[in-house]
Amino acid sequence: MTLTRRIVFGRNPRRTLVRVLVLAVISFVTFGWVLIPVRAEGISMQPTFASGSLHFVSRVAYRYRRPFRGDVIAIKLAGPHVLYVKRIIALPGERIAFIKGQVFVNGAALAEPYVRDRRLWDVPEVQLTAREYFVVGDNRGMRASDHDFGRVDVSRIIGKLLF
Amino acid sequence: MNRRHATRGLLALALVAVAYVVWRGREGDDERAVGARIEALRNDINTSTSDGLGAVAHATQIGSYFTENMVIELGEGTSPIHGRDTLIGIAARLQTRTAAFRLELDDVSVEMVPGGRAADVLLTASFVRRVASTGEESRDAREFSLVCEKDAGTWRIARVTAIDTLR
Repeated sequence: MTLTRRIVFGRNPRRTLVRVLVLAVISFVTFGWVLIPVRAEGISMQPTFASGSLHFVSRVAYRYRRPFRGDVIAIKLAGPHVLYVKRIIALPGERIAFIKGQVFVNGAALAEPYVRDRRLWDVPEVQLTAREYFVVGDNRGMRASDHDFGRVDVSRIIGKLLF
Repeated sequence: MNRRHATRGLLALALVAVAYVVWRGREGDDERAVGARIEALRNDINTSTSDGLGAVAHATQIGSYFTENMVIELGEGTSPIHGRDTLIGIAARLQTRTAAFRLELDDVSVEMVPGGRAADVLLTASFVRRVASTGEESRDAREFSLVCEKDAGTWRIARVTAIDTLR
């Protein structure tokens, strides 16, 4: 066996083939159904996530528990290739409002250490249904009209951003 | 189980996975034709022309992808666009502004309506704009629902409705 063949196929080509197949199946399952790599684009999640940064979405995070307030989640649009990345600030059944940039959940001010700049957003109180979460990006220095935020149905949540 | 059995098992698993992917990706001729038509519209929108007559011709070309009495509903705060002629007029006027954008379409799914004369399409459209000062690209993604109709053998878009993913 020549050196090149040995480097490419290993000492035992059959074993190498098995290893390659195992690796391919593990990668296919992991990055198709368990951990989805996503690249953040845009400024709505700054300063937590910079535009262009790479992250992973866990699709199994909510298999055994419901999303918590403060979780950063991935939300599908027509499919899984373009996603919104937002933070949950209100849970199903809660009431939420923005008054001069401050978030109020069920009438109580919500502490948001992840927000740096705040514009004076005003959003009338919204009552969430049993299937709805309220999501928003961390960049509140933007004008509210330039920022996508609001109620999202639980069926659109595909997972939690891990890092 | 010896090594030979393990190898065969893994090969069989890989074949099943490939067959599954092929089966999921299968689509009929009409679905393919609708998908190709939407892809062609995207290409035409991204081919920008900003000079006089060229802009009108380009807008007319874009209009040819729609039925004569088409409707575009972009959601709250905007009036619906009724009719192909209105759309062509708007497209011609906006030509210089839309030239700065690039349209990308993802997750396009086509479902035929029973009878085969119409199709429901769901897709994510991203309007990508390069910021001249920083060179960075900004992306505004929205979900759309389309109704396509077969008109004299050609698929055309009869209705476009923006979907509010976040309400």
